[in-house]
Amino acid sequence: MAAATFRDKAAIAGVGYTPFSRDSGVSTLTLAVEAILAALADAGLGVDDVDALATHRVGDSTPPWVVAPALGVPEVTWYLDQFGGGSVSHSVVGQAAMAVAAGVAETVVCYRAINARSEFRMGGTGRAPAPVFDVQYQAPYGYVAPAQQFAMAARAHMIRYGTTHEQFGHVAVAQRAHAARNERALKRAPITLDDYLASRWIAEPFRLLDCCLETDGGCAVVVTSAARARDLRRPPVLISGAVWGGGDSLLSGAGAAGGTDLTVSEASRIAPRLYAMAGVGPADIDVAEIYDCFTYSVIVQLEDYGFCAKGEGGPYVASGATRLGGALPVNTHGGFLSEGYVHGINHIAEAVSQLRGAAGDRQVPGAEVALSTAQPGYILAGTSALILRAGT
Amino acid sequence: MSGARPRGGPAARPAEDRDSAPWWEAVRRHELLVQRCAGCGMLRFPARVVCNRCRSRDADWVPARGTGRVVSWIVNHQPFLPGMSADEPFAVLLVRLDDGADAGADIHMYGNLVGADPSTITPGMAVEAVFVDIDDNFTLVQWRPKG
Repeated sequence: MAAATFRDKAAIAGVGYTPFSRDSGVSTLTLAVEAILAALADAGLGVDDVDALATHRVGDSTPPWVVAPALGVPEVTWYLDQFGGGSVSHSVVGQAAMAVAAGVAETVVCYRAINARSEFRMGGTGRAPAPVFDVQYQAPYGYVAPAQQFAMAARAHMIRYGTTHEQFGHVAVAQRAHAARNERALKRAPITLDDYLASRWIAEPFRLLDCCLETDGGCAVVVTSAARARDLRRPPVLISGAVWGGGDSLLSGAGAAGGTDLTVSEASRIAPRLYAMAGVGPADIDVAEIYDCFTYSVIVQLEDYGFCAKGEGGPYVASGATRLGGALPVNTHGGFLSEGYVHGINHIAEAVSQLRGAAGDRQVPGAEVALSTAQPGYILAGTSALILRAGT
Repeated sequence: MSGARPRGGPAARPAEDRDSAPWWEAVRRHELLVQRCAGCGMLRFPARVVCNRCRSRDADWVPARGTGRVVSWIVNHQPFLPGMSADEPFAVLLVRLDDGADAGADIHMYGNLVGADPSTITPGMAVEAVFVDIDDNFTLVQWRPKG
């Protein structure tokens, strides 16, 4: 198998956000432009420094070839308009790092801009199912929404490992406590396990508080060479590991490995390559921003990225390990459950803040290595993740 | 039949593709088929042109036994599509077919539970396929507890 050679060649030099809301009142083009300008300002760069743009979308946003002229980018030498949702979110930044390492681009702005509440609701309400392979075998049964697909997997995990509703609830409660320390977060009022258990059913075994927010917002990060990042305004955050891929589509039939076990995510496939590329292991991770479209996705990834034994994700979160001050603080910004849902990139931006030591009241002391992960492949066959490291 | 109607209205009509058309056509005849690879004999579903084990392009359609086990399930409450109501929770089952189960075929199908209440579902519950005609051109495979 090929070995990646771009460890620490590229860095994240800037992060930018629009406000998060339930109704932005503006276009996704505006969200993209504002997030990119904020990220460039954070890096101490201008539009004239940009030579590449990268995003992902599922027919719900504005592509690079519209955003670049809207910003007045002088010349685009590389762009990426990746099809896909949360599972590819981290591959966008990974591919930008690869482009920088290969010398085809010097300064890439990676962005995601969505009106995921006011215009295009990922939950499916009012929206026709996307025309992909699996849908014809699912939609006629009223099975159309990520909340349902992840609930199906969560149930399988409960059956196999005895994972409990209360353990799902611990994920939601811990992340809300983190969000209370994040001014950007949409949901900051603390919740208790009783609040969680009293929230209404969405798709059993999921309640409302198992589900992430639906958010309007934009977020962008600036990727450039590690050497150049050292001369910019902010401390560089090195992209040490960047991996994407997988193998099986857990919902559309077994791949070559027969991988239809819903209790295992695609993270288990890419984790060894990710750690090998970055030259670290799970014990070296100081803070983890783990894709939390639903509470269960945190539990299964804690297992599949090797932070606890398989099947022990529920007890692990119930132990408090993932809280600030715990062994592995997870989703320090509150995650999609409480900060807002920008489909993955706001996890990357939070990891950058942590590695800069700039996360304020929610700073993990001395954080040097962070994991940030994508939707773990329950909907498309594959996932993506980054290991980031504080540079000097 | 309880739970038999399709959820979600016209948006939820199956969009047959050029690979799956024979399967849906058989469902309209109340036949449940799976593909069988002529190269290695492995059963497969959904329909695809190449066996992902031996890469043979030769396959035929064979009848499935129409029985399986419930691997997992949800009970939906949220009205994600028109035609759903929070007052009418319904189950969606993930069923592992008995066909090829011992040979690693690992064939799964979805469906609603019919003829029983969602509260009666248990892990590994044995179910059998039933065909529910929605209209002249649309039949669904659903699942009921095996008698």
